[in-house]
Amino acid sequence: MSITPADTATAQTTAAPPRAKGFWTGRSEFAFVAFLYALAVFFTIGTATMHVLGKALPGPRLFPVIVCVLLYATATMLAIHIIRHRHLPDTEPHPGHGDFSADLLSDLAHITDEHTATRGPGMSNRSRTYSDWKTVGMIAGAAVAFISLLKVVGWILCAAFLFWVVAHALGSKRPVFDLGLALLLSSVIQLAFTAGLGLPLPSGFLEGLL
Amino acid sequence: MDQISLLLEGFSNALTPMNLLWVVLGAILGTAVGVLPGMGSAMAVALLLPITFSLEPTAAFIMFAGVYFGGLFGDSTAGILLNTPGHSSAIASTFEGHRMAKNGHAAKALATCALGAFIGGLIATTLMVFFAPALVKLATVFGPAEYFALAVFAFLAISAVVSESVIRGLAALGIGLALALVGIDGPSGTARFTLGMPELFDGISVVVITVGLLALGEVFHIASRIHRDPVATRITPAGKARITWVDFRKALPAWLRGTAFGAPFGLIPAGGAEVPTFLAYGTEKQLAKRRRDPEFGTTGSIRGLAAPEAAANATAGTAMGALLALGLPTSATAAIMLAAFQQYGMQPGPLLFERSGDMVWALLASLFIGLVILVAINLPFASVWAKLLSIPRHYLYAGITVFSMLGVYAISSSLVDLWLLLAIGLVGFMMRRYNVPLAPVLIAVILGPMAETELRRALAVSQGDLRILVDSPITITLYAVLAAGLIISAIQHLRHRHDHDKAPAKEDVPA
Repeated sequence: MSITPADTATAQTTAAPPRAKGFWTGRSEFAFVAFLYALAVFFTIGTATMHVLGKALPGPRLFPVIVCVLLYATATMLAIHIIRHRHLPDTEPHPGHGDFSADLLSDLAHITDEHTATRGPGMSNRSRTYSDWKTVGMIAGAAVAFISLLKVVGWILCAAFLFWVVAHALGSKRPVFDLGLALLLSSVIQLAFTAGLGLPLPSGFLEGLL
Repeated sequence: MDQISLLLEGFSNALTPMNLLWVVLGAILGTAVGVLPGMGSAMAVALLLPITFSLEPTAAFIMFAGVYFGGLFGDSTAGILLNTPGHSSAIASTFEGHRMAKNGHAAKALATCALGAFIGGLIATTLMVFFAPALVKLATVFGPAEYFALAVFAFLAISAVVSESVIRGLAALGIGLALALVGIDGPSGTARFTLGMPELFDGISVVVITVGLLALGEVFHIASRIHRDPVATRITPAGKARITWVDFRKALPAWLRGTAFGAPFGLIPAGGAEVPTFLAYGTEKQLAKRRRDPEFGTTGSIRGLAAPEAAANATAGTAMGALLALGLPTSATAAIMLAAFQQYGMQPGPLLFERSGDMVWALLASLFIGLVILVAINLPFASVWAKLLSIPRHYLYAGITVFSMLGVYAISSSLVDLWLLLAIGLVGFMMRRYNVPLAPVLIAVILGPMAETELRRALAVSQGDLRILVDSPITITLYAVLAAGLIISAIQHLRHRHDHDKAPAKEDVPA
């Protein structure tokens, strides 16, 4: 995640990158390319079938065309880049998730060898995927359940459920305590919003009780 | 001196008990957010945005200002004590700051940070009071072509010049511009990319996009790594953050040098405080080498910490000036604050000073009040703030998830917004996974509509003649500076690719 001084980074010895196996190893970023193409296609269809009102030139289509060209171009360039360079879980620093070039910052700060060691991702060779999809899936599932049930079940129970699942998925070991904490938080929010700010949150089937 | 009387009037407006309460609340929230690792001031402002809609604009902005500065005050705490900077603008302070903490000077390091943030912020805010009217005057000569050039400058500076990978930066820019296109097109009334859904006629709310990308995306990212990454060990600071007179004298020149680096960068859309903090750190490093300072790089030099801290807050101070006077957001946080202005139906720029002068000067005055309050709650209670670091991460992120849903639901009680939030959160996760920068998306979402309107206006005036875009000295200068930046950054990338190619183990570096 960041450029960190060498002395602590050595505490977590970074595992050697796993050996490349098939074509797809280290090329999962094609998912992002696919997303860019999907977005580009959606906006192309939208631009082509747009029901344009008014006759002013340049009209509402000009800018979408520029954006589509940008999306197609970057998606294609990124695809070529991924084909040429496999991107295995790396130990490179990525300040701000890539918002800034680590090379540029290092040059500005005259950072030489003493700072180049980085906090590695700590990838263990036992995991098959870089991302922990089980944890991500639990949270995404809880969010889907929260949104689908919000109107029916009400804010207090839905928000408590969401809090509890996320805390549990991220490694909390105290399920009963978490349940109390979750209910307390969601009730306090409901109270503050309804009584204090005057914004109603759905109370669901608890309607009559509250 | 017109500004002084206006500022004094601003103080009289800002010093009401209610407004003071908002400043204090903002400062406390901001510091808490800054201390908590993984939460930046951008995320805090995004999460607060929907909740402050029930406040009056002045109160909301005073609170945002407290959060913005407060975030920077607390930012380095995690870096110093854990060696994991919560935000990339705190990386440069972490180098020497953590060394000082490891050698038993944690309290001194925290005090250096708080005072550095105060001095940097104070000088930059003062400069802004005197230069804002000049910026406003500059902005009044801007026509459509100039505003379009300014937007293009911001887009390319953030996506291509400072970002790690030019391709990914431009892709992020494309995503942001595309998201901003959804909705009814103002000039012609055409519905664009709405799939016929009335919920989308007003466009995708900026709150949904920022909360999804910054908050929910971060939750998913943490979830994907929390069981795999090692945990950092924490150093507990003892007692009050204090600093001796000798140390103060030693740090003072570094604070001033840091401010000098930070202040101009607030006006340049280069993504925020990262570039000036690293520049400030690099300068201190070179100076230490010349001075043969034995502390630098070993036991931790107070100067190496003081300079980047002052630089970060000085950047924030002048960034507020650029935001208010030009309507130009120079970082992701500033972009979200601009969105807040727009939600209240105000457009920062010359007209804001004319129409809502009272509010602008009250806001500027409250920045000074905020700085004083921040230094007062940060110096004596630094170790109390550091206790926030012991909140377990699972509760922190569970809370962020619930607050994201709450904030988005609160804007229009719409389930469509919540589904969009989830989808954008997953996109944010994917972008973090592949280190696609997020700042270009936010800047594009917020400046995209302005860029489109100004481009169409300019081309309508010239009847389609593209030369109007490069027809004035201001536009030519902007494009020339941008071109220079792009060329320098291209050389930089090529040189480093060459270096990486020579080292065979590093061939998988993203371009």
